[in-house]
Amino acid sequence: MTCELTLRDVRSVARIVNLAHRFNCRTTHVTANAGTTVSARFAFDGAELALARLRAQIDRIISYETVIE
Amino acid sequence: MNGAQAVVAALEREGVDTIFGYPGGAIMPLYDALYEHPVRHVLVRHEAAAAFAASGYARTSGRVGVCCATSGPGATNLVTGLLDAMMDSVPLVAITGQVRSELMGTDGFQEADVCAITQPVTKRNMLVTDVRAVAETLAEAFALARAGRPGPVLVDIPNDVLKAHLDVTAAPIEPFARGGAGPRVSDAAVRDAVARIRSARRPVAIIGGGVRAGAVDLYRLFVAMLGLPHTATINALGAAAPGDASFLGMLGMHGLKAANKAVQRADLIVALGMRFDDRVTGKPDRFAREASVIHADIDATEFGKIVSADVALHGDLRDTLRALVDELARGHVPRFDDWAAEARLLGGALPSDRVACDVLSATDVLDRFFRDVPDDAIVTTDVGQHQMWAAQRAHPADPRKYATSAGLGAMGFGFPAAVGAAYANPGTPVFAIVGDGGFQMCLPELATLRRYDVPVKIVLIDNQNLGMVRQWQELFFSERYSATNLADNPDFVAIARAYGIDAYPLTSPADADAVIARFIAARGPALLHCACHPTENVWPMIPAGMTVDDLMEARA
Repeated sequence: MTCELTLRDVRSVARIVNLAHRFNCRTTHVTANAGTTVSARFAFDGAELALARLRAQIDRIISYETVIE
Repeated sequence: MNGAQAVVAALEREGVDTIFGYPGGAIMPLYDALYEHPVRHVLVRHEAAAAFAASGYARTSGRVGVCCATSGPGATNLVTGLLDAMMDSVPLVAITGQVRSELMGTDGFQEADVCAITQPVTKRNMLVTDVRAVAETLAEAFALARAGRPGPVLVDIPNDVLKAHLDVTAAPIEPFARGGAGPRVSDAAVRDAVARIRSARRPVAIIGGGVRAGAVDLYRLFVAMLGLPHTATINALGAAAPGDASFLGMLGMHGLKAANKAVQRADLIVALGMRFDDRVTGKPDRFAREASVIHADIDATEFGKIVSADVALHGDLRDTLRALVDELARGHVPRFDDWAAEARLLGGALPSDRVACDVLSATDVLDRFFRDVPDDAIVTTDVGQHQMWAAQRAHPADPRKYATSAGLGAMGFGFPAAVGAAYANPGTPVFAIVGDGGFQMCLPELATLRRYDVPVKIVLIDNQNLGMVRQWQELFFSERYSATNLADNPDFVAIARAYGIDAYPLTSPADADAVIARFIAARGPALLHCACHPTENVWPMIPAGMTVDDLMEARA
């Protein structure tokens, strides 16, 4: 699974890598370029269910980076 | 103005009237700013209690709960309360002092990387490195705690930032980023959901903690217009209208039989603001096997996480329920009264595990307590057997009248949460139902009750055991009772009295009605100590990872 993300908080990169480890997924690629926002690219290997769970948690992390009214 | 005064000014702007906390070195400037300030600070006796009290405040009021602690151990002691708030979607802001900026990274005294530690247990956290950012950061923290699916946010402020001079005439820093409007439930999904409701024969609604987002009235309208049988997760007790005969009670591992059996027989599940916790579903692939699922939630992450949704209604639960009600009203409104009556008959009386008529039974005490407790009372519970017995029997008038650590199951929650509830709801009777294990995790809060004369009344179900673990050891670990016997419990009545709290010992079933009545009628803080039978179990029970087909109602 690959993800191209625009993040507001560079710390989210570490959080996502930690979650992948927790779900027994292997992070095979990480790049992050931090400017005003962070352009990050990830690649993960793992079981289908674990990857789906990881993707959902990534979406939650991104949603908590901004205040949705 | 300094940074600490800017914090207090920000709290005032957010309408905060009470914060729960414990002072220490790094956060001393904030305590100095709070000195003789209208924002009330409640001194608890352990930072964990500060977080739980803030949670009780938030759960029973809908307002953001606020707690504070110093750096290092003060901050780490908040972690369990933050995770509890995360699991149960409780809006919380925690403010922690941090060591001076120049000491960060030196393993300084009481230094901890609190932002790293709390990243998984908060919606987000912020380290304030510039005094000019204090106000905006706190504004963002409160907005984020409330927004969408509520939850905890932590703001960590170094000691030097709290002490730094703030030039209030300087240009404000850039406002925090706002992501625009939240999700709006799709019209097409609402039409699909209503079509499925119209064609269903045995639909069941399951309401979850999302109902706390101001959706109680619309939920009651929705189930009433359909005559829909419905059940609740433990976080939504009180969602059903009082006396609603279609309400089947709580579902799940220790839920009522009718609720669990109706869900299992349903051909349509309407899941509203709930997340299919494993304590609700048991084995997910055998949960409600014949049913299609309509799932409404503000958090898209919940769709398909445990149970696949045939229709996903992504949006605020109030808006979703309004849309469902309006769409139903545009056409045929089916009635499910016959099915609701049939579903009620799937249950029966709660199975009893009362073992001897001359020994106090916990369930008997709680039956009598919930019979007599005032309708407007707020009840909090701790975690364990008493939590389940209470949930089976409680009939709160509103979800904000009942608070328990549901998702995390954090022992030590119930008593401090009741303190928070009492501050959020002055004049309302507040009761904490606790067990002897959890009560001993927060005993020093009796000093908080005494100092502020907080009118919290504690119902202590003392069975001299970590009862829920003991029950599992009995049932699933060949009666090998490892580390669950608390027969050497202290004299709780003497402890309460030592703190200056009135105590009511109850040992005999014959005295129960009179003692409980005196306890409920007492003014001010009080403890009811119930010396209960040590081996009474919680029934019914669906063993972990099993289904309602495996439901147990007694020892084998």
